[in-house]
Formats: sequence, C-alpha cells, structure tokens
Amino acid sequence: MSSIDLTEPALAAGAEQPLLKASGLSKQFPGVRALTGVDFDLMRGEVHCLIGENGAGKSTFVKILAGAIQPDGGEIVVRGERAGLTGPRDAKELGLAFIFQELSVVDGLTVAENIVLGSEPGAHGRFDAKSASATARKILLGIGFDTLDPDMRVGRLSTAEKQAVMIAKALCANADVIVMDEPTSPLEEQEVRRLFQVIATLKQQGKGIVYVSHKMREIEEIGDRVTVFKDGARVATLSRAEATPRELIRLMVGRDLGDIFPAKDRRPGREVLKVRGLSGARIRDVDVTVRAGEIVGVAGLVGAGRTELLRSIFGADEVSEGEVSVDGNKVSANSVRAAIRSGIGLVPEERRGQGIVGVLSVFDNVLLPWQEFPGSRREDGEPEIVARQAVESMSVKTPSIRQRISLLSGGNQQKVVVGKWLTMQTRVLLLDEPTRGIDIGAKREIYKLIDDLAKSGLAILLVSSELPEILGLCDRILVLNNGQVVGELSGDASEAEVIELSMLHGDQ
Amino acid sequence: MNAPVSRQSKIRQFKNRLPNGEGNSVQRQSVWRSIVADRQRLQTIVTLLVLLLMIVVFSFFNSRFLTMSNFQNLARNTAPLIIAASAMTAVMIARGLDLSVGSVLAACSVVAASLAVKGVPLPLAFLAALAFGAFIGFLNGAIIVRMRVSPIIVTLGSLNIARGIAYLITPSAILVGLPPDWSAIGTAKLGPFPMPILIAAVIALIYSWASQRTKFGKHVYAVGGNEEAARLSGVPVERTLISLYVLSGMMAALAGIVLSSRVGSGDPNIGVGFELEVIAAVIIGGTSLSGGEGRIIGTVIGAVIVGVLSNGLNLSGVEPFWQYVAQGLVLIAAVVVDKRVNEGVLRMGRRRPRAA
Repeated sequence: MSSIDLTEPALAAGAEQPLLKASGLSKQFPGVRALTGVDFDLMRGEVHCLIGENGAGKSTFVKILAGAIQPDGGEIVVRGERAGLTGPRDAKELGLAFIFQELSVVDGLTVAENIVLGSEPGAHGRFDAKSASATARKILLGIGFDTLDPDMRVGRLSTAEKQAVMIAKALCANADVIVMDEPTSPLEEQEVRRLFQVIATLKQQGKGIVYVSHKMREIEEIGDRVTVFKDGARVATLSRAEATPRELIRLMVGRDLGDIFPAKDRRPGREVLKVRGLSGARIRDVDVTVRAGEIVGVAGLVGAGRTELLRSIFGADEVSEGEVSVDGNKVSANSVRAAIRSGIGLVPEERRGQGIVGVLSVFDNVLLPWQEFPGSRREDGEPEIVARQAVESMSVKTPSIRQRISLLSGGNQQKVVVGKWLTMQTRVLLLDEPTRGIDIGAKREIYKLIDDLAKSGLAILLVSSELPEILGLCDRILVLNNGQVVGELSGDASEAEVIELSMLHGDQ
Repeated sequence: MNAPVSRQSKIRQFKNRLPNGEGNSVQRQSVWRSIVADRQRLQTIVTLLVLLLMIVVFSFFNSRFLTMSNFQNLARNTAPLIIAASAMTAVMIARGLDLSVGSVLAACSVVAASLAVKGVPLPLAFLAALAFGAFIGFLNGAIIVRMRVSPIIVTLGSLNIARGIAYLITPSAILVGLPPDWSAIGTAKLGPFPMPILIAAVIALIYSWASQRTKFGKHVYAVGGNEEAARLSGVPVERTLISLYVLSGMMAALAGIVLSSRVGSGDPNIGVGFELEVIAAVIIGGTSLSGGEGRIIGTVIGAVIVGVLSNGLNLSGVEPFWQYVAQGLVLIAAVVVDKRVNEGVLRMGRRRPRAA
C-alpha cells in the first residue's frame, strides 16, 4: 500500500497531463482580496517554485490546496479530475502532501509511527508495529535517509531529520504532489544540499513539487519553473533560464530594487565592544572586538554557539569565565540589566517569542527598556514623543503607536524591536537573525537600517544563517564552531570560504 | 584590523587551538545515553523506587503497615483511584483534562443506588450508572471539541453540575433498602485479592495495552503531542478526544460503583476532591502536563504512592490535616523531579551539529 515504485511509468504515460492544475482561483477575506484569478499547473517530475512577498497570496494558495480554506471561485484539477478540497483528509486522499515551516511531526512518537500516522498498518484497530517499522525503513532508504532508526523517538532528531520524516510520511501516503513551504529556512547549508538530493530523487520518481521560497539562490538551483505572485495575483511564470534573481525581484516588487545590500562605505572608528575569553555552557574562550561603525558577522552551523555567544554577551546565558567591556568599561557578567545599562541591546532570534510582547501596543513595546532604565535613556521627554521618534526613525508602518504590535507585519515588528534600543544610549547592537521570515522588500529596508545604525556609530554584531546576508552586510566575519572561534574572514570573503571554515571541524 | 592579512594563516592558527580529547567525552555520552535512552522508562523506575522507599519507611515506623490485611485494605482503597486515573492518563496524554470525575463518581453512585432501591436489578442499575457517566463525559468532550472551550472550564462546570445532580437525586446517603449483593463487588475476594483491585488491574491493563498497541492509542499520543500534525495526517482528532472524555466519564462511574459497593451506600457526598487525587496520581506517574507523553504503568505506581501515603500516615496516627500537606508536597516534589530528569536527559541527548 505504501511502497515506492522507482520505475513508476508515470514519466512516460502522463507527461502531458498536469498532475495538478488550478485555474481562476479566487479568495476574498473580509476587506481583502487574498487571491484573484490565479492559474497554476504542476507536471510530473517538476519542481515548480512559488515566490512573492509576504501577503502576495502564496500562503492563501497553499492553504486552498491543503483544504484548509475554500476558494470563492475557480477550480482545482488533480490528475485530470476535478477536486473538491474541503479538508486535510481530502488533500491526503488526492495525494497531496505538505511540508510546512513549522514541522508537523509528533515528538512523542517514533519515526515509524510518525511516518504511518493517519494510515497505520494493522487489522481491527491493532497497531502493527513491525510492519510500520518495515514500511518506514523502506521509504527512508528510498530517499537516502536509511541511517535513521525507525524506532527512535522523533523528539530526538535534528530539524533536517524531522523534515526527512515528513517527506517519508508524504511518500507513505502515496502523495505525488508535495508542497514544501520554505523548507530550508531552518536548515544549515549542508543539510540543504541533502534536501536537494532528496528532491532530485522525488523528481525521478515522477513526483511534482511545489516549492515556496524566498531564496533566489535555491530557486535558481532547483526550480524548473517559477511562478511569481504579487498582491494576490499571478504576475508571471518563468522558465529556469528566464528566472534571474534580478528579474524575479523586479516582478515581485514591481520595480527594480537594484542591489539589496547597501554599499560598504563605512569607516569604523575606535573599539566599542571588547569581549575577552568568554566561556559558558556552549561557548569557549571567545574573543570579539567590534568598533564603532562596524558590522561584524558571526557565521557557523546551527549549534555552533552563535546565539549563545550573543546571549552571553548580553548576560542572558550564564558565563563562567571571561569579560565583556563597552567603551573600556567592564560590564558585570550574567546580568541583562547590567548589559543594558552599559549600552548593549539584543534583537533576539525568535521575534514573536522573545522580541515582542504581542498583546502590548507598539508604544509599550518600544518603551520597555526606556521605562525600566531612566538612567540610561538617550533623551528624556514625553514618553509619547520618544516612542513616536523611535518609530519614525525606524520608519515603522503602523496606523498608530497604540496599535497592538502583533497586528503589524513581521518586518515592522522587527523594526520596533530594533527601535526600542534607539531610545536608549545604546552603543552595541546584537542582532540575531534579524530578517528571519521577513519578505525581500522588508529585508532590504532592514539592511539599510542596519547600515545607517552602524554609520551613526553603533557597533553591530550580527548572527545570520543566510550567508549572503552576512557577506553582503559585514565588514568582518567570525566563524564559530563548537562554541569556539575557528577563523576570521574579511567582509569580501566568498561563501565557499565561510562554509569550508564552519564545516572544517564539523563532526568531531 | 581590516587590512587583508593572510587569511589562510589565520585559519591555520585557529585550527591549532582546538583542544584534544574530544572523543572521550563523546564516548562517555553515548554510554550514558543508552542508559537513559527511554526517558519514560527511567522515570517509571525512579517513581517505583520512591514507592519502595515509602513502603520501607512506613513499615519501619509501623508494625501494622506490612500486613496482609492492611495491604488488602490499601488495595481496596486505591482501586477507584487507579480506575479513574487510568482514564485520566489517556485524557492528559491527549492534552485534555477532566476535573469532573469526583462529582461524576458521586452522581453515578446515587444513580445506581436509587435505581437499586426501586427494585431495578443490580446489573441494570450499574449499567445505568455507567451510561450516565459516559453521557456526562460525552457532553464534556463535545463541548470542549466542538465549541473549542478550554477543558478546565468545561469540566469545572460539569464538576458542579454533576454534584448538583447527585444532591438532587438524593440529599443524603441512601443506606436503607439496598439489595444485599450491593456490597458484593466491594467486599468479594479472589484468593487473597480483593475484587476492586482486580477490576482496577483489568482496567489498567486494557488502557496500557490500548495505548501502546492500537491505532487509537497512537492517535491519542499524536493528538496530545501535536494536534495540528495529527489533523493534517488524517487522524480523526475530534472523535479521538470525545471518546477519551466518554471513557473518562465511564471510568469515573465504574470507580463510583466500586467505591459505593465497598462503603455499602449510594452517597452524594463521596468523591469530593477525588479529581485532585486522580490528577496527582497521573502527574506523579510522569504524564507530561503539556501532553504527548505518559504511561499507564507510571500512573498505577503514582496512584499506589498516593494510596500508600494516606494509608501509611493514617496508621502512623498523623492528623488528616497533615495528610493534605504531605500529599501536596509529594505532588510538587514529583513535578520538580520530573523536570530535573527531563532536563538531564535533554542535556545528554542533545545532538552535536553534523556534517552530513
């Protein structure tokens, strides 16, 4: 029932008929046209990329495919037959599978149990564990993940392995349309390579893949065709050859953005942040210096200790040895309050969970440190005015500063998180994945803001999993591995150099 | 600092700084990891050790503790708890909660007794009680699932409703007019084993088997571990949850029948605070409050810990008021230990970044 047939004849037989065809899909939400007359088709053995800014209609489209929302107009045809998608079960029966950013695996169940979940083997309600393991093993072998133990709990796997479990699960359900929504954003460079190999295997098996992504490089690499969404409509469908990054951005934004990174014409001044021999649970003997007006990048694999380094400097993770100083003044260790008083600000990794207080207004969020540390304010004055200035200087788009922050877009929320440090006498800004989950237009704005902040004399330490971001923004790059600095590169280094360095000691 | 110094030489210099002896710690980790591989199993072992320790301590302080008659007494007292707690474990694994079990127990006790007094055959009276418990459970589940109301609120409501119904049926305990075999279940024995504990054992075994060996059981873990993932996989999430509440109501009714039979009455006052004992047993047994994890065997041990605690303290002549304090402390201690074990395992099991 759930075997994968590598010699599926589909490649030859059904090559002309699209696996999936949507025509004239429309969806209206109260006050918003989320989707207008969208056409889309997917052939067997094809990777069809979907690109567009946040709010362009990609996720509405994907949700319609998943049966999570119903379209107002248009139709979906799967393998030549009209499909009524009214729930996740329908999508599953039609052979549509979804791999979302938030991985929907069950940590408490084993690999095999996850793979067969919803279509478990066994008669009369019994669960046939042996058969489940065997099925899982066979499918995992088919996608080159045969090292995964089917009887291992999924909670103990890495993100990449969980993703493999999701793909195996799709195959187990006999899906031949696999929709992947930003699958690489939680992955490291070499895990991405492995995923691409799996995608290549799936293509060979005649599966069709809808690949939603923000990342130009990936689209260039694996996309057979690219469809660009803008404002709820399909702007264009391009072949691989036509889909240059510049063209895609032009179509997405509706204008030519030029280079998304600001020119590196900063002139760093004197040393501001000085970290000597910093050690803690996940970092060892780290030295970092960042000068005024300088952006220093921190690269490395997930688990290399990048986030922990920032958090340790900020006093949020426990430090056992070493010292941090700002403008020559020592910062007492293990205290967030001391770090803030010394002029350090952190823009944390998880915007929703750590950066903002969703239920509070923009006003309350931007003034959190300002109200808490009257002695370290940049300027005193009416809270109203201070907040408004911070919001304006970050060009946050919000109807009012009394707006609940959770109602803003991700990019604007992030600007508020950065803005709150501008109300303080901040000297050092620690940025942890500042553009994660933000669309390309807003990213460009944030890059510009980071550059402006550096030029105004801040010392900036930036962690990012996206190498182009690090290379495009930073004056120097530190490479972390296993909690240690294993190398330092100048800002004009190549991606290959950074990857080589981060992986050199990758598996010890 | 920005001068283009030889990059390569810098890399080499940093490479040399890597410490040696990395391999040792990795090896040590993997041995330790295999010991604690199954967190749940480790936790069950720890809970069992705590129970044994309690038994040793109590038998040291009181000669009457370690006797056959006391153990039979203990078994009879703990049986309703094990029955209701087995059902509650499944509910809590699925990330639900049922606060109504104590009141449902009382309501079902008086339903059965009032029917029995009117001459309805005992088996039918008991069946009616079970059906009534299942009905309350169904209402709980349906409202929680369909209306998307928090289980705490819904079952807090039905806790009051069921207690009210119990008092409406009879304001005081029904003692007179009950058929003679009303007490049969509560007092009968099979060999040295009191009937209530045998019933409890059967229930716990069924629950344990179902949770591990059936599709339904897998669905329960999936719903609690990641409801959305379960739904997207085609698991009938709503049906699973409603079934669990129906079963929980039914098991509360069964616990009520066993208890009423043992005390020889149908009493609207029984089972006050029972739901807290049940939840305590489940949590001491290691079921995660955030769902997705838990084992029936742990709950059984947890229930016996709760039972031994009150029995032991009783025998030692400790005031009942102090028993509440002791029970509360044990509960908090259990959660703290659970958290510690959890963190320890997480630390050991944390994976290093891998180059594929």
